[in-house]
Amino acid sequence: MLLRRNRAITWFVICWTLLFQYETLRASYLNPLVKRELPKLRLLFPPAGWIMFFNVDKAYGFAEVYGIRDGTPTLLDPHDILETKAVGYDNIHRNVLIGTLYPQRARQFCSFLKRKFSGYDAFLVIYAQYPDIVETPERILRRVMYRCE
Amino acid sequence: MSALWHRLFLERRPSLSLGLFRLAVAWTVGAHMIPSFFHMEDNYLATAFKTKNPSFFPIWLLRLVEASPDWVVSLWTGLFFVFLATFTLGLFSQASCILMTLTCYYFYALNDYHIGTLSFDILLVTLFLMCVTGYHGDFLSLDSLRRGKRNAYKRPQPYFLQRLLQLQLAWTFWYTALSKITAGGNWLTGNPHYHLMHYPPIGVVRDFPFREWLGQHPGLCYNLGLMLLIFEFSLPLLWCIPRMRAIGIALGVAFQLMLWVTLHVPTIFLFLFPAMMLLFIRPETLVQWIEARQAMHAAGNRAVLLYDGRCGFCQESVKRLRVVDLFGWVDPLDFHAQPDLSRLHPSLTAERCRSEMVLLEPDGRLSGGFDAFARFCRRLPLLWWLAPLVHLPGAGWIGTRIYRWVAAHRYLLHRNPVCATNQCALPGPPAGGGNGQNGGQGNGSSKI
Repeated sequence: MLLRRNRAITWFVICWTLLFQYETLRASYLNPLVKRELPKLRLLFPPAGWIMFFNVDKAYGFAEVYGIRDGTPTLLDPHDILETKAVGYDNIHRNVLIGTLYPQRARQFCSFLKRKFSGYDAFLVIYAQYPDIVETPERILRRVMYRCE
Repeated sequence: MSALWHRLFLERRPSLSLGLFRLAVAWTVGAHMIPSFFHMEDNYLATAFKTKNPSFFPIWLLRLVEASPDWVVSLWTGLFFVFLATFTLGLFSQASCILMTLTCYYFYALNDYHIGTLSFDILLVTLFLMCVTGYHGDFLSLDSLRRGKRNAYKRPQPYFLQRLLQLQLAWTFWYTALSKITAGGNWLTGNPHYHLMHYPPIGVVRDFPFREWLGQHPGLCYNLGLMLLIFEFSLPLLWCIPRMRAIGIALGVAFQLMLWVTLHVPTIFLFLFPAMMLLFIRPETLVQWIEARQAMHAAGNRAVLLYDGRCGFCQESVKRLRVVDLFGWVDPLDFHAQPDLSRLHPSLTAERCRSEMVLLEPDGRLSGGFDAFARFCRRLPLLWWLAPLVHLPGAGWIGTRIYRWVAAHRYLLHRNPVCATNQCALPGPPAGGGNGQNGGQGNGSSKI
């Protein structure tokens, strides 16, 4: 009984360790090594390993949403768009709104905006970027990603 | 080699650290998930803006979850709260953990927009390990109360789960540092700290003291970055060296606090990582600390609880009290077996002990019934969480009535067919004084 339990634990520890290392190294190290996309174990482990703040650049991009009423655009407070408050930090500062920029998400996000801000005629979803936060901190480039009518 | 493997993973050691860690995990899950339920129409219902994570979930599963009508989503929400509560309380710990984890997966698949972060992935990896065994229900749990084992805090279990959680944390730190200098990381080639100090107000960096000053010193920022790298590489080593462990844990907690103070990062890092660092403390050290407190109470004056030892319900309750009384503050005594109650306290009478349980504290303070229970909530650390509830306005009035009802029916609250009329008691040992016989016979108004 004891031997069976120890054997089961041993196998679990070995499998878990191998999986942990594989999933950690797969995206950034093993894929480039074998020059192809290796399979990922679904339902566990992040897609690209433990890459917190691994690359912080001079450029900074974020999303802006403008509500248009009678032809006049008004910048919407992102906290009014995504009202969910996280405990101990502000998700908006984590740049969560940038996930709305993908054109394939336009239809769903537009209907979301129309429901939440029914007083506006249309919306503009814009990608804004500081090209260099150190040298030119006032310069922001803006590009319309899509428009909600 | 075999001996080392045995020592690392197979050895049976007290599992109380996992009981404490369970609470930290439950708190982290709650803090991460619950806020997203306050805006169901924005996050999960048909009206929500949803994003999917196809690299994490199989497509068929995403489609299945996506087809959930709103009532199913509401049902899962209810299930989440039920399983979070049972997991927190340690009721059927392993089953609760598995079911709670399933609900987390459901909502992650339904919409990863708010909750799907790298830190949430780390939490899921942790939850997966917690699902493997129910060791976390051995201590600080309703499971341990159900079992009624006085020494639940030192119940030995194979150590592999705690060891894997330690390794998970250590590897996460090492690989985080490694990715900063390889695989696209720019901590050697660039100056990430300097860039962060210049982030716009909408960015991830909080407005903390010295930020502006740091932003004027690129060289200092670069060196701070290097120091941080060395720190992340070496911290797990400190946790593994017994002599350096306390310093390593203190530094690790301070590091997480610093992250939280300076950055808008998910608080999972703050809630989960320090708790994982505490898993490096040897469980035997905690057991020794508990037993030192028990010895201290045993050597000095302990409080005395006088209860009806002829009532099965009371005996069961005392058994559970011994589990909750981790530091051995109370000495439960059957009042029938006390030859002279007035020697304990001049105002103590058998009549009072028959009517309610009586708590006599070392300073001579006497309380009975619900008041005694309220005193337990103040004096026993494992009941501290109940203390605010029993001191709420009106709690005394309601609690006293509930207590009286339970006391009046205490002979019916345990399986003893002889006591169907509440006019009898379990046959007990002959009492030393005259009180025993009266107590044994009881009467219609007898109360614990």
